[in-house]
Amino acid sequence: MSQQRVLPQSKETLLQSYNKRLKDDIKSVMDNFTEIIKTAKIEEETQVSRATQSEQDHYEMHVRAANIVRAGESLMKLVSDLKQFLILNDFPSVNESINQNNQQLHSLQEECDKKLIALRDEIAIDLYELEEEYYSSSYSLCDTGDLPLCEVYWNQDSLGSPEGISTPPAPRMAEPMGTGAETSTPSHPHVNGQGAAPTEHA
Amino acid sequence: ILPMANERLRVLEEIEKEIAAILQNAGSVTSELSKEKPNERLLDRQASQFTASVQKVESELSNQIRYLTQVATGQPHEGSSYSARKDCQMALHRVDHARRKLGELARTCEQMLEPQ
Repeated sequence: MSQQRVLPQSKETLLQSYNKRLKDDIKSVMDNFTEIIKTAKIEEETQVSRATQSEQDHYEMHVRAANIVRAGESLMKLVSDLKQFLILNDFPSVNESINQNNQQLHSLQEECDKKLIALRDEIAIDLYELEEEYYSSSYSLCDTGDLPLCEVYWNQDSLGSPEGISTPPAPRMAEPMGTGAETSTPSHPHVNGQGAAPTEHA
Repeated sequence: ILPMANERLRVLEEIEKEIAAILQNAGSVTSELSKEKPNERLLDRQASQFTASVQKVESELSNQIRYLTQVATGQPHEGSSYSARKDCQMALHRVDHARRKLGELARTCEQMLEPQ
């Protein structure tokens, strides 16, 4: 009961109006229906001639049927208003659906990150072999030596890539640090683009 | 992502279908009455079906309204799932980035393998 006192005026009147609409419409449907059935009864004696009476009855039934339909439609509108009110204001279910969404998104994100980390571990192994191949081949000797990493990277991008993969110079320096830093360019969460990589290793 | 798992919304959907059934029932009762020789048993059954449906709709709707009076406050709801969605979006960006880089790596390797 104390909860209802806290309700602001508009919400209470709104809910009261819902109740009123419900009662009115149900009453209208029932009444009109029973009246139709009653009017369907054929009487022996009539005050006016049969034709007039039947014409009047026909009109009356028409009107009552229209009333029933109107009441039914107004009930539908009431249901849709209730739905809207429920979605906006039913805090328990809104909270629950927000939590559900959060959980789903969170689990999706965890799965992505887990798979990326597994990928990184796998690629680290392959990259190690590729680098060995690169440095023992003739291409690395043609490099202008002792360029900082970013210049080699950008040079390679602009000239096309006959010189091999873009990451080798970094791991050369990072080899003592382990394989974790090698593949940090594709999968490190803080790296926003290519520009951040040189600042890490230079 | 908002599946209609909400029980109350589902009940409201059912109520809507019930209302439509009420109207249809009323129509069939009147058309049955209008026949030359109405089938009494059928009429009775349909009429009782009609009353039962109307009662059911009324009780369900007043239940819903009563629940709303217990639950509603005037305050707007201020929760959101924006932060989880943003994190997820960033994770998907990371995956996309990794995929692109891998693609470049694969293309480079293939170029090396091509006879030149």
